[in-house]
Parts: sequence; C-alpha cells; structure tokens
Amino acid sequence: MEQAPPDLERQWQPAPLEPLGHTDAGLQAAVGEEAEGSRDEVPGDGTMTENNFGLKKIEISVSEAEKRTGRNAMNMQETYTAYLIETRSVEHTDGQSVLTDSLWRRYSEFELLRNYLLVYYPHIVVPPLPEKRAEFVWHKLSADNMDPDFVERRRIGLENFLLRVASHPILCRDKIFYLFLTQEGNWKETVNETGFQLKADSRLKALNATFRVKNPDKRFTELKHYSDELQSVISHLLRVRARVADRLYGVYKVHGNYGRVFSEWSAIEKEMGDGLQSAGHHMDVYASSIDDILEDEEHYADQLKEYLFYAEALRAVCRKHELMQYDLEMAAQDLASKKQQCEELATGTVRTFSLKGMTTKLFGQETPEQREARIKVLEEQINEGEQQLKSKNLEGREFKFGPMLRNALARCNPVK
Amino acid sequence: MSGGPPKGLPSTGPHSLLDMPHPLAGSSSEEAVGGDSTPSPDLLMARSFGDKDLILPNGGTPAGTSSPASSSSLLNRLQLDDDIDGETRDLFVTVDDPKKHVCTMETYITYRITTKSTRVEFDLPEYSVRRRYQDFDWLRNKLEESQPTHLIPPLPEKFVVKGVVDRFSEEFVETRRKALDKFLKRITDHPVLSFNEHFNVFLTAKDLNAYKRQGMALLSRVGESVKHVTGGYKLRSRPLEFAAIGDYLDTFALKLGTIDRIAQRIIKEEIEYLVELREYGPVYSTWSALEGELAEPLEGVSACIGNCSTALEELTDDMTEDFLPVLREYILYSDSMKSVLKKRDQVQAEYEAKLEAVALRKEDRPKVPADVEKCQDRMECFNADLKADMERWQSNKRQDFRQLLMGMADKNIQYYEKCLMAWESIIPLLQEKPEAKLAPIWGNEETTWCLFTTTVIGGQPGSQPRISKRCPSSCVHCSIVHNSQDVEIT
Repeated sequence: MEQAPPDLERQWQPAPLEPLGHTDAGLQAAVGEEAEGSRDEVPGDGTMTENNFGLKKIEISVSEAEKRTGRNAMNMQETYTAYLIETRSVEHTDGQSVLTDSLWRRYSEFELLRNYLLVYYPHIVVPPLPEKRAEFVWHKLSADNMDPDFVERRRIGLENFLLRVASHPILCRDKIFYLFLTQEGNWKETVNETGFQLKADSRLKALNATFRVKNPDKRFTELKHYSDELQSVISHLLRVRARVADRLYGVYKVHGNYGRVFSEWSAIEKEMGDGLQSAGHHMDVYASSIDDILEDEEHYADQLKEYLFYAEALRAVCRKHELMQYDLEMAAQDLASKKQQCEELATGTVRTFSLKGMTTKLFGQETPEQREARIKVLEEQINEGEQQLKSKNLEGREFKFGPMLRNALARCNPVK
Repeated sequence: MSGGPPKGLPSTGPHSLLDMPHPLAGSSSEEAVGGDSTPSPDLLMARSFGDKDLILPNGGTPAGTSSPASSSSLLNRLQLDDDIDGETRDLFVTVDDPKKHVCTMETYITYRITTKSTRVEFDLPEYSVRRRYQDFDWLRNKLEESQPTHLIPPLPEKFVVKGVVDRFSEEFVETRRKALDKFLKRITDHPVLSFNEHFNVFLTAKDLNAYKRQGMALLSRVGESVKHVTGGYKLRSRPLEFAAIGDYLDTFALKLGTIDRIAQRIIKEEIEYLVELREYGPVYSTWSALEGELAEPLEGVSACIGNCSTALEELTDDMTEDFLPVLREYILYSDSMKSVLKKRDQVQAEYEAKLEAVALRKEDRPKVPADVEKCQDRMECFNADLKADMERWQSNKRQDFRQLLMGMADKNIQYYEKCLMAWESIIPLLQEKPEAKLAPIWGNEETTWCLFTTTVIGGQPGSQPRISKRCPSSCVHCSIVHNSQDVEIT
C-alpha cells in the first residue's frame, strides 16, 4: 500500500544527523512542526494517529513463526526461523480491519532495522529486540534457538518491538521502517544503500570521549550511572532467578520418585493400599506441575530482559552525547587556538611558543604579504570553526531537548 | 514372692531374679528353680514367673503343666490380648525434661520418666525417675531376653557419629526424647510387656544401677541357656503364615528405605533452593535503592521472598525432625521383628528335630515324651504370641503412618499457604497508584503514548482503543479517553 500523498514525501527521508535544516530554531520547534504537521492531516476532533501511514490507523502483529531452510552467505545450508508480519489498516468508520500487507522476516533483518535506527536516531532510546541467544538459562530450558517455547517468546518480543517503534512519533515516520513492513524483497539492499554503517561511531572513539570529556552534562552523567546500575542489578537478578528456577525444578522432580515407591508399597498392604496408591499418583501430578509454572515464569524473565536491553539503549544515548560533547569541546578548543594564532599574527606578538615563532626567529620575519595570506587562511578557518561549533551546539541541544529524552532526564532527577 | 499362693491379684513389687527362671530354659536338665517355667501372661492376674499356682480366669491350668498345650489356653491368650483394646487404661508413662549432666568422666543427658498407674504392681500411684539412654538400652535388652516371643519396640539409634551430629544440640535431644517416649508408650500399650518385671523396675527404682548389678550374676547362666536352645537346628520350611510375614517385612523395610532416601534427597534439594532464595530476595532491595517510584514495591517483593524463605526453612526443619525419624524407627522395628521370626524358626526346628528323633527310636511309648511336649508347647506359645503381636503391630503401623503421611501433607500445605499469604499481601502495594504513576511513555509534553497500546489516548469517540494485555491496569494513559492535557508528567 503506497498511496503516499505528496506532502508526506518529505517525511520519508531518513532523519539525518545534521539538524533538520532550521538552523535558527532548536529542534524543539522542528519537532513541534512535525507534530503539528501530522496533526494537520488528521480530522479535527483531536484524534491522533501515531502509526501515520496515511491517515489510517495501523495494526501490526507478528502472527506466526516458521522453520525454514536456505543457503547462507557462504552457500551452506542453514535452518532458521521466519516470522510473519501482518499489517492491518483500521477503518475509522466501522472499526473493521483490513489486511494490507503481510511478509516474512527473519531475526537478522530485525537486527538490521534496529542498527539502522540506532545510527540515524542517536538521540532516541530505540526499543530493544528480544535476545539473540538464550541467556540466563537454567538447565532444563533449551538454549536452542529452534526450541518452540523460545521461538514463541521471541515472536512476542518482536511484536512488541514493532509496536513500540510504531508508537514513537519520530521513529514511526521512518521510511526504512515503513519499507520493512511493506516491501519484502530488496529491503536489505535499500537499507545498506543508506550507508548507515559508515555513519556509525566507532567504539574506540566513544571510549576516548568518555575519558576525555571535560564538561559532561550532569544529567547525562546521572542517567549513565543509573543505566549502568540498572543493567548490573537486572543481570544479577536474572542470574539468580535462573538458579532459583533450577533448584525449584529439582525439588519438584525428586518428589516424583515417591510416585513409584508408594505404588510398590501399596501392593503389599491391605488396608493402607488404596491410600498409598492415591498418594503416589498425587506425587506424580505434583512433580509434573513444575513445567507449566516455570514456563510462565519465563515470561517474567523476558520482561526483565527487555528492560536490561532498554538500559543498554539508554546507555548508548548517553555515550553518543558524551561523544558529541567531546567533539564540541575539541572544536571549541581548536577555534580558540586558531583565534589566538590569528591575533598573534595580526598584532605581531608571539605569546605562545610555536613553530612559526621559532622559524621566524631563525629565518627572519616573513613578508607582510605572507602574513596577510596566513591571516586570511586563519580567518577562513575561524569562520568554518565557528560554524561548526554552532552546528555542534545545535546538535547538542537537539540531543538534549529531544522529546522523549527530556522526559527521561526529568525523571532522572534524584528522588532518593 | 515365689511360694506364696496367689490370691486373686497376687504378687507385688519386683521379683528377685533368682526366682525367675528363664522361659526358654525348658530342657529337662536345666530345670530352673520355681517349677514350671512356661510364662503365662495373664492380664487379670499379675504375672509372676514360674508361679505354679497361677489360676486362669476360665479355671484352666497354666499351659504346659501336663498335657499338650490346650487350645483353650491358647484361646485365652488371644482373648486377653483383645481385651486390652478396650478403654481400660491404667498405666501412663511420659518421657520429658531432658537435662545435661557434666561429670568428670563424661557428659550425658538424662530424661525424666513420669509414671502414673493404678495397677497393683506399683506401690505408689505416681513415680518420677531420671534415666539416660544407657538405661533404655539395658531395658530393651532385658525385654528381649525375658520376652523373646514378643516383638520389642525399637530404640532410636545408639551410635552417633561424633563431629557430624551434635549429641547435645536441641534438635537431636528433642528427636531422641520423642523416640524414647514412643518406645515406652509402645511397651505400655502391650498387654504382656507392660507387666514385665524389668519394665516396672525401670519406671520405679531410685537406683537402677544397683538393680542392674544384681542381674549381672545371672547373666552368664541365662546367656548359656539361650545359646543352648537357639543354636544348631535347621528349619525345613517356615509355615505359610510366617513366611508371608517374613516376606512382607522384607519388602516393607526395603520400601521404607527407599522412601527415607528420597525424603533426604528432597530435604537436600529444598535446602539448596533455600540458599538461592536467600540471595534472590536482597537483589530486589538493591534495585529498590536505585529507583524512585518503584522503590516501595521492589522492597515489598524483597520482603515477600524473605517470608517465603523462612517458611521453607520451617518446612525442612519439620521434615527432618518429624518425618525421617519415624521412617528409621520402623526400619529398625522390621529388623528386630525379623530376628524374632528367626528365633521362632529355631524353636520349631528344635521341636521337629526332637519329634523325628523320637519317631526314629521306635520305642513303644504310647505317650510322647515330656520334653518333646514341652518343645511343642514352646513353639505353639511362640506362634501365638507372635501372631498376636503382629496384629497389634500392623494396627499401630497403620495408625502411625496415617499420622505421619498426613502430617507431611499438612506441613507442606502450611508452607504453601504461608507463601500464598506473603504474595497476596503485596498485591495491593503493587497495584497502588501514586498520583504520577504511569506506564512507560513516549512523546513530548503535547502528546503521550502508552507503550503498550497501539493507539494514542484519545481514540475516536465510540471506538475502542486497542490495549495490549501487558498494559498495567494502573496505566493512566489508557484509562483516559480524552487528550493528554490531564496527564501529568513528572
């Protein structure tokens, strides 16, 4: 379904890293515009659609999972699971839903989508995917990705992911996301063509920034600490929970041994026979009841894992901010030193030790033309630097005052 | 005392051992003092070993005086045993009040034995003495010696591996006390054993050691006679009913052993589970320290898990103290019963051997020689005693196990009820809505979205906003139909 009205076309651009072209206004306004833009499209009774493909409400579901075999990149046979994504549009008038798109995607494609979103929306806490491999397992739980229970829980996780992305005012407008839901073939190529992988920051750069940044925003620092601690406590919780599940399983299963021995004992008893037989039966029932109990508990563990990954995503945003702050500081520093150089050249005073100063002393002063030329170059560089600084500042502000982040920061105020 | 004619309810007080011939000292050459030696327990009359003039209620003579054991006297035996199941309790014994004694040579525990009785055998209506395990052990041995045809209840295990178990710990002493109490009560309930001389002394004597020393002199003589009788005869085949009992006891002990092992394994697993739980709860506390609104609920969860842990600990303690000891007791019981069965076999074997010997001699005796008759008597008494005791044992066993298994079920139910209560009590806390409690949201200050719904609050009037099952019922966004202005964002 591609009935994009003309004014939507503009919104299908992937949101760039640079500000949205309104250098004079903070992003706040831009977001405001966007939001208003969308509101304009909607009937005036105040209804909002966040799944705003056109004017209709969209329902998304990951309804099925299927085992498939295919050939991988190295032309070797592999087995994987594919998930069916169905999109329905809901007619306003009668509330009925019509199936508009359905396609199959595998986990790696979800991953690709998410990685793309992470790069293009660094200031947004991108919803997490269900875990790639089964972790925090206890012994009975299969660590096999093909296990039906695991597949089912993954299906739910993938659905939640899509719903959350679709609920986000900014992410939901992303064209790649839209194509993910509607265009089965060729989608991978389309994503890769955006070149997002190149735009990703290197880990090393990020680490460097963490250590070297001079004026980190206090709120981000707190947020970072919070997300670190949250990750740590939830990991601990999941590990211990897995051990608890393991032990509980053992307790129930050993009771099952009673079943057989009570039965055997009942055979030699007269009056006690029936009672013992019945007791044995109940022990068996008890022992087998643990499977369902623990399966239900896995859903609880899944929700904990969700927030574990969310904390990671939050951390990534903080990391990005540190990086930007660091860049800003570097740019400012660079600008300051260039300005100083310029000043020195203009006034002829050498205040700092520099190679130029040395060579001047050694080889004599340069001609006024030369000096003029150099001043000019520096002035250009200063201009560029100022521009850059301005844009970086803007980026930073956009970052900080991005819609959801503001709430996150506000909520991070120490309540302790 | 011996020689005195019984009047209705004769004999009071302990008899001197010298007057008491060993019941199995039946061979002619070993005729002990006091004439006929066959014990004839009699409920209505106080028992007196070797009392010739014992009169049975039906007027018959004690079995074994002359003719082959009369069936009537055997019947009496069974009748008398039945009578004890009536409500005529006249002897009550309790074991309690363990105390530690520290002497130069050793440290040990004594227990107080309180006896209340209206029986004539007791001079006083009430007695209170102190006994230690050794004394119980002595009593049991004496009972085995003096009442070999009966099933003597078991004692708790004698030997305790030092260093592994603390002999003076409260749990150990209490477990032992309960077992000793059970032991004495079983004897009290027994129509024959409760009238035993040694039992009486055990319950009443101020100085048991003096009494013990008296008996030592006789020990060797008695010991020999026992050996003499019970050695050397091979039984051809056990009669069907006793074979059945033997088989039953074998299987029974086997199954109990398995149950004991399983129970121990369960307790072990439960303790390991407990260890993990004790680590699990506090993590929620740690988490709660990081949070603002969530702090209280998380702390509540932590406390709840703590309560469950405590409940589990109580369960494992109960199982260890009440369940396992009874299983072990019955295993020991089965063992001692099997050895009584073997003794019975011996007696039968001796009788059959002697009978054969007589037959082979081909003498013209019209009458069966006296000693063969005595053997037959002994055998038949033994059989009767044993059968009666088996019935009693089966009935007690049913009762004991009923109590045991129901107790186990009850304790488990209580554990689950405690856990249920703990969790139910924090549900209100988890559902509590402080003013700004919100489900996770996306959006800016103009619009807010509940994370779990796919529609924004403010659906079209008349249409149902779709709400995911996972959206908590306290989610303010979904409960508000109109737009976001009313929603507060912290």
